[in-house]
Amino acid sequence: MKRISFLGMLFLGSIAACTPVTAKVFLRVEASPLPPADKTGIRDVVLLWPLRDLSVAAKLHSQGYRVFLQCESKDLAAAVATADRRAVTGMIVTNTAPSSQSPAAEQLRAYFAAHKSLTFRMLVPGGKQPQMKGRLVVERDGVLQVSSPSSQPWLDTNLALVRLAQATDPDSLPIIYDFHWYTSEALPDAWHPDAEAYRVAIAEADAIRSDVTIDLPGSLQRALVADDPRAWKLWKAVMPYLDFSSHAAKERMLPVVNLGVIVDDAQANYEAINLMARHNLAFESVRPSSLTLARLSSWNSVAVFCPLSKEAVALLRDFAASGGIVIFVNTHDEFPWHSTPPLRQESRATVYSVGAGQVVELAEPVVDPENFARDLRRLIGRERAALALWNSLTTLVTGYRQQSRPNITLYLVNYSNQPDSVQVQVQGRFTRVRLESPEERCCVSLPFVERGGFTEFTIPALRITARVRLDSAREAPPHRRKKG
Amino acid sequence: MRWLKSVALPSLTLAMLPLPAILGSPQNRSFVHQQRYAMGTVFEIVIYDEDLPRAEAAARAALDEVVRLDGMMSNYKPESDLSRMNRTAHFQPVRIPRELYEVIEESLFYSRHSDGQFDISVGPVVDLWKAALAGGPLPTAADQASALRCVGYQKIELTPPDGIQFHSDCMRLDLGAIGKGYAVDRTAEILNASGIHRAYIDAGGSTMYALGAPPGGNAWRVRLRDPSRKLGPEVMLSNNSVSTSEQSAPSSLQGDAPGHIIVPGTGKPLQTRYAISVTAPSATASDALSTTLLLLGPTKGAALVKALHNVSAMWIASDGQRTIVGDGVSFFLTGETHPIHVSPLKDRIAATSKTATELLP
Repeated sequence: MKRISFLGMLFLGSIAACTPVTAKVFLRVEASPLPPADKTGIRDVVLLWPLRDLSVAAKLHSQGYRVFLQCESKDLAAAVATADRRAVTGMIVTNTAPSSQSPAAEQLRAYFAAHKSLTFRMLVPGGKQPQMKGRLVVERDGVLQVSSPSSQPWLDTNLALVRLAQATDPDSLPIIYDFHWYTSEALPDAWHPDAEAYRVAIAEADAIRSDVTIDLPGSLQRALVADDPRAWKLWKAVMPYLDFSSHAAKERMLPVVNLGVIVDDAQANYEAINLMARHNLAFESVRPSSLTLARLSSWNSVAVFCPLSKEAVALLRDFAASGGIVIFVNTHDEFPWHSTPPLRQESRATVYSVGAGQVVELAEPVVDPENFARDLRRLIGRERAALALWNSLTTLVTGYRQQSRPNITLYLVNYSNQPDSVQVQVQGRFTRVRLESPEERCCVSLPFVERGGFTEFTIPALRITARVRLDSAREAPPHRRKKG
Repeated sequence: MRWLKSVALPSLTLAMLPLPAILGSPQNRSFVHQQRYAMGTVFEIVIYDEDLPRAEAAARAALDEVVRLDGMMSNYKPESDLSRMNRTAHFQPVRIPRELYEVIEESLFYSRHSDGQFDISVGPVVDLWKAALAGGPLPTAADQASALRCVGYQKIELTPPDGIQFHSDCMRLDLGAIGKGYAVDRTAEILNASGIHRAYIDAGGSTMYALGAPPGGNAWRVRLRDPSRKLGPEVMLSNNSVSTSEQSAPSSLQGDAPGHIIVPGTGKPLQTRYAISVTAPSATASDALSTTLLLLGPTKGAALVKALHNVSAMWIASDGQRTIVGDGVSFFLTGETHPIHVSPLKDRIAATSKTATELLP
């Protein structure tokens, strides 16, 4: 699994990532003609290195595109040296080679610093085409159905992949993720992917607030150049989403979270964290070494997937004592709260009361990530959830808070390609709730109610994506993280 | 319709499989696979047909019908016919769409034959526990008693052809245990009418219906839920249906987390160690029976199955203990050396049976 190995490298190699200010959509194209940028609505294009024809970058640049080259880290120096520096805006670096053959993270960082005229992105490979999936595995001579009590749709989402990649230092390198389109079910005479697939991919990157590279199939690229009306019909259905994505807030924002995830082995715990994302648990992940009092002050619940130092355990004890919930996964360690008898002993979990809070210890790793995520959601409860959706099984929501004001922007993505009524609950009080979407643009005021410190409203028919701006009359309090 | 069943590990495993590798290349495609989100789940249709555009159109039409039925039978959408009925049918007759009438009529059949274990009027109690399942507090005894007062299928009065009245001031119907099955049957009807004879319809993995057989086969092979992970149960479907049901997996973090299947008589979540699979000529029947027979358990449930025709049921406990009864389609336990037959494979049922009375011996 490329994704897993790369995540492992991210953590082990300390190639750090930060949340980008904007989520840009890069289109990876063939090194061949493309209609001008003002016609396609595309701003950033990616060409794979090596290029057979070096003039392609200049041609695309002259058509209004920002051109990026994608290369492996071992080829980076050659690519930078050879590329037309006037035509190329930046480099997307993949780092999938065994660590002994790839430049160390510090070397890359130094290299990037030495080439300030170029923009660099580290590629997080192994993303999945964002989509809602059913359960059928189709064989040529029949269907094998593995039945289970499940009725819920499965969402392939890149949220956890990106959150884990971002779980590092603040002075890190910007990341970008990509994926490959599923092509298996394409009808021979149909464009694949269809416009809906592009729209969901663009919407997801917007919600994750991460740059993404999306492949533009060569057949579509050539058809656009040839002015094929069917190709343009498809692309014109995509363009409003590109435009909508490009109009997201530009200022740096902080994710709205209430759950901290402490993890050092992304590979072992990926699926559990993926399901937490899938269930709209508003979380951020940190490495154990990054756990500080300031970090904890942003959360009301913590899930721990790795051993901790005594200092970190003491922080979590105080966190629980002041009302927090802490869940340790696969732990057999001795903890200070073991000096008192547990509150409850379940078959797989031991629950301790610690001050005003609670510590839950699971003696096993997560064997059923879906069930774990649902359990976690129940344990945290609605009263602690920073964000919650009702009856929206195919929608993901992320929230971001402005640094300068307590205003919040929610980003919603519906993966089902079926308009859905989405009920939303956000912690906090707001004076105005406004919806914008590629279809509605800015802005439609939504009626809302305030209940017990939460603001609740309904998006009547979420098509694929929407942003909801919640304005607060209050000034932003000093950011707590900066205290610690 | 939004009273959803929990997702267990097998579905996760399935979702992680490399689907494209299994499906083959687009060039040698002979099937259509479409899916649609409706009724809180994913409806999927696979059609084998020489005329792929026709198959595409048929699948689209069938899934459109599922969405239409969702708009009619959803208790989550305030504008649905079901919601409107739930607001207005107390002590006064109201007219409802034919499809809604049919589903309620068939539901009452199973209520009567299960002594009320299957009861679509359990909605108010379900809502109490649904909130708890979503992270809210457990309902108090007073809350439960208050909600139980609203339950009782005997208080539903149907007047043909489309009239309904509730003899209760707080009754609210929830078709979550039968509506998906009905939608699957409607889907099969539409495909049949479109000239499609090789299709497989799946409603979230809990209710499936097979039309005909895939090319080169006699039936569609369906692997069933096995909480013991020892037996490998399967069934071969052709023009019939299978549904599975199981209580939500126990919480690993909280011992008192409720399950999603409620016992109508007590108003409390069902405690059971079984998963059940039921085959029947129609998906409406298998869907309703899977919940009913899970609630009844193998002893009482076997008696009900024996009173029905062309129905088979298989209860599997977490330790591998199983009970298989009925004269319907055979279950195979592939984990064993010799497959166990409920009965010899019979001639396939020719057409979808949609009404409850057709299931009677």
